[in-house]
Amino acid sequence: MPREDATVFVVDDDEAMRDSLHWLLESMEFRVATFASGEDFLAAYSPRQAGCLVLDVRMPGMSGLELHDRLNAAGVALPIVFITGHGEVPMAVAALKKGAVDFIEKPFAERDLLAIIERCLALDAARRLERGEREQAQQKLATLTPREREVMDMVVVGKLNKIIADSLDISIKTVEVHRARVMEKLEARSVADLVQRVMVAQGGKPPPAN
Amino acid sequence: MTPPAENLALAAPSASTPEAPAASPEPAESPRAAAPEANPPRPLATTAGGRPPLDRTAVWLLPNIAVICFIVAMGALLHVLHRQELEQQRAALVRDIQWAEQTIRLHLQANQEVLTQFANEMAQGTLDPDAFLLRASQHMANNPELENMVWVGENTLIRWSAPFETTARLVGERLPRGPSDEAFRRARETGRVAYSEPFLPDRPEAPFGDARQRADGSATIEIHVPIYEDKLFRGTFSGAYSVSGLLYHLAPPWFTDKYQLALLDREGRLLGTRAGATLDDPALTQEIPFEPLGKGLKLQVASLRTESRFAQQMLTVLILGLSVTIVWSFWMLRRHMGGRRQAEVERDRLFNLSLDMLCILSLDGTFRRANPAFERILGYSRDSFLGRPTLELVHPDDREATRAELKKLATGEPSTYFENRCRGADGRYRWLLWSVNPAVEEGLLYAVAHDITDRKEGEQALASAYAFRKAMEDSILTGMRASDLEGRITYVNQAFCRMVGLPEAELIGRLPPFPYWAPEAEEIDRRCLERTLEGTAPASGMEALFRRANGERFDARVYASPLIDAQGRQTGWMASINDVTEQKRSREALRASHERFVAVLDGLDAAVTVADLDAGNLLYANRAARRTFGCEPEQNQTCASPWQVLHEMVAPDAGDAEQAIDTELQHPANGCWYHLRARAIKWVDGRSVRMEVATDITEHKLAEEMSRQQLERLQRTSRLITMGEMASTLAHELNQPLAAIANYSMGCVSRLRSASFNREELLRTMQKATAQAERAGQIIRRVRDFVRKSEPQKNLVAVAEIIEEAASVAEGAAHKRGARIVLDLRADLPQVLADRIMIEQVLLNLVRNGLDAMEQAPPNLRRLTLTAEPAPDPSMVMVSVVDRGHGVREEAMAKLFEPFYTTKAEGMGMGLNICRSIIELHQGRLWVEANPQGGSVFRFTLPTGA
Repeated sequence: MPREDATVFVVDDDEAMRDSLHWLLESMEFRVATFASGEDFLAAYSPRQAGCLVLDVRMPGMSGLELHDRLNAAGVALPIVFITGHGEVPMAVAALKKGAVDFIEKPFAERDLLAIIERCLALDAARRLERGEREQAQQKLATLTPREREVMDMVVVGKLNKIIADSLDISIKTVEVHRARVMEKLEARSVADLVQRVMVAQGGKPPPAN
Repeated sequence: MTPPAENLALAAPSASTPEAPAASPEPAESPRAAAPEANPPRPLATTAGGRPPLDRTAVWLLPNIAVICFIVAMGALLHVLHRQELEQQRAALVRDIQWAEQTIRLHLQANQEVLTQFANEMAQGTLDPDAFLLRASQHMANNPELENMVWVGENTLIRWSAPFETTARLVGERLPRGPSDEAFRRARETGRVAYSEPFLPDRPEAPFGDARQRADGSATIEIHVPIYEDKLFRGTFSGAYSVSGLLYHLAPPWFTDKYQLALLDREGRLLGTRAGATLDDPALTQEIPFEPLGKGLKLQVASLRTESRFAQQMLTVLILGLSVTIVWSFWMLRRHMGGRRQAEVERDRLFNLSLDMLCILSLDGTFRRANPAFERILGYSRDSFLGRPTLELVHPDDREATRAELKKLATGEPSTYFENRCRGADGRYRWLLWSVNPAVEEGLLYAVAHDITDRKEGEQALASAYAFRKAMEDSILTGMRASDLEGRITYVNQAFCRMVGLPEAELIGRLPPFPYWAPEAEEIDRRCLERTLEGTAPASGMEALFRRANGERFDARVYASPLIDAQGRQTGWMASINDVTEQKRSREALRASHERFVAVLDGLDAAVTVADLDAGNLLYANRAARRTFGCEPEQNQTCASPWQVLHEMVAPDAGDAEQAIDTELQHPANGCWYHLRARAIKWVDGRSVRMEVATDITEHKLAEEMSRQQLERLQRTSRLITMGEMASTLAHELNQPLAAIANYSMGCVSRLRSASFNREELLRTMQKATAQAERAGQIIRRVRDFVRKSEPQKNLVAVAEIIEEAASVAEGAAHKRGARIVLDLRADLPQVLADRIMIEQVLLNLVRNGLDAMEQAPPNLRRLTLTAEPAPDPSMVMVSVVDRGHGVREEAMAKLFEPFYTTKAEGMGMGLNICRSIIELHQGRLWVEANPQGGSVFRFTLPTGA
């Protein structure tokens, strides 16, 4: 359960609404943080904090949509659930198009809210895991020497040692040494594993096909 | 008057200069001193030319007489002196001549006695020849007047002769016949001494005659002394005297120095002189009879030119000379005086006749004398200004300068010409040019004043005419160039010099090519000149390109005309040159500005057109107008203007052509909105035209529409006019507390279910939920209050008033949407019992719906008609709102008035529902029908007050 290290951020200008949401979400055993405005939230939030954002669409000052835009612009991929009132459905649809996870119309059922928030938290956790693996792989890749990197680039596209040696104008033996060092540094058990790690490091894209 | 001036010297320098100095010394010694006019200043005019000539003769009479008397006296004196002198001389002469006669006679007697001695001795016979010869020679040596001594015998024969060397009487000869022989005979006969007649020894027979007529010798006279020896005649002793020798030897030298001695015979014939010449002056001659030598002989003494005589003559000559000199000098003086007089007369005549004013002033400037020209020119009578100071007459402005001149003159410094103005008797000032010569020692100033008023005025007129002409010439901007028939420049004016930038001196006299011809356009300029000289220059002028001195080029327009002199002959050509560069430039500038104007107008997004008011044809259309409205003023005269395009399609009946228009209209074809402004202006040619500017305001219109809607919404909430809006707000506001209550409740349920709850916490939360429920209750109460407040307050009102008011409120909205609201109200409608505000809100709601429905309709159809008419039920009045919008679908008709039914994206579906509620509150009915012409008709009925 990701509930322990994830927080549900609530931004709503209506104090009753904020307080009651806090009460409700707490009863669902989420960690909850509430903010009266988008500005307050931006001031307090750090992208490292995992969780999701429950956001009122209509607020004085910075509206929910604006806050969403700001977060997108800042590259914060926090999943967002919009709470909408009467006649605000078109706004919510626009928000979905910009990447919000879902919206829920006031007044809402407990079940619906729980399902949505859990989905958001799962999504956030998955995103954070993926990002963590990528960063790890990238760090490992960064430890390679240029020559090892060259050798590795050729290995991952399936070239034989001999061909690598010829094209780099070095001995096969040297290629084998480089290759062993690459495998060791990236902690790859096989060539397939190596390819997997390189893909992770490069954001899921297949390695260059040269 | 002051002016001294030296100008007199200039006017008559030769006359005045010698005269002035001559004036002072002359009167002292000339007879003029006595003349009457020598008296001091008397006006010349009186003495003028009128003195009779008699006077002048009288003047001269005395000196004439004096001179004549003087000369006569001198003559008389001379004569008396001469006479006295002559008398004295004559007396001396007589004395001397008597002395001379006596002397000669004594000598002759002595000689006679010697001869008588000889005769006596002969007679006594004591005489021998030798003794004779000795004694005779001795005697003759002592008495040289004797030529010879001879003894003539009784028979006339010469016996003895002494001296022995004599040749006149030779011994042995006979006495010649004639006077000698005759004297011998007489001596013989008478026995007495006898003298012969004078004869010439060489021709003794002829009488001697006059010595002055003969040159062959001197007269000789012989003496014969008879010798008687006792009565016996023995001949004679004879002596021969030469008359000349006689006179020569017997007159002493002192005598001969003084006189001329002459011997004359009885007839007065000269026998001989001491000097051999006769004297002219008979007055100085004295004759006395000289008997001893014979009968009738005379001794004549003429006084010779002596010292005293010479002095006397000198004296005479001197006196005569002096007299002549006096007469001559007197005559000269007379002549000179005559000349002077003539000169004076002439001068006076000139003085009087002079057209210039001549005057003599004292040093302080007082008039002493003036000629008639003064009277004539200044108009004063002479007496009135003589003795007056000149300064009185001088113009006040010139007085200072005149005074200074006078001061200068008083020091003797001659004045050069100077001018001043003097007042005439008529009060007018005359310009006078003065020239004054001072004579300080006389205390006078001699002045000449020339009246130069005419000249001055002429000069001024000329100067002003010249200045005017010059100013005119200099002020005109047209260059003038005169040339003779060959094209040589004879005159240029200032403007031309300025134009070509060359001084006049460099242009005058130049022959083509002229220095101001532009080299590149020389052919044009030459042709231009040739045409001028040929006389074929067009009256409209010729184009030429000239060059300024600084190299700048300018376009010129040249007009030529013949130059005619005073005799009517053509002497050349006058060309007037205009610098048309500026004109060209301004023409260019005008064109450029026109292009700019056109570019600006064409660059405008707004369509600008100008149409004739009467004919209606387009005069101008910019590019936007042509593009948007297809106007082509040149091609299609009947093309419609934007006003016609926009307005006539909406309302062909409306619009006064001359009225100013400021409105917004929708284009019938492209649907764009235009802000059209039109007003009548004066077109360039003076006719009245209408200018229209149509600005595309579609964008603006949309934005405005948006803001208008917002504004309207605001108005609606503030006035709480639209029930639907209120319902929406109500829904939103209720949502908040409801959602909060739900959340609190769900949280409680969840906690209670999991049993992990804090009781206090739950209690607090439940209280919060209760508070939210109260909040919701308050909202509900507010709505109820509103509803209560807005319950109809029915009054009797004219339905037409409500409709008109609603129409006027909606007019703005309709206008913005390009629609028009048309009222069709029956005049005889009864009043209705209704809440005026609520019915108005219903009407506004229906009108807005209608306008919304027509949003997509063609603009010309966007017309909303409000009608009021009696309903079929006579106790009701029916109001209809007729639109030409999209209409209401059949299936929607039934749901239309249900709550929350809406066809609008943002509508809540409460409007019509509330409207129906309001109408029903009034016991009326609201329904909808389809408009047979398209669109829908909403109708409601209201009960009449009856």
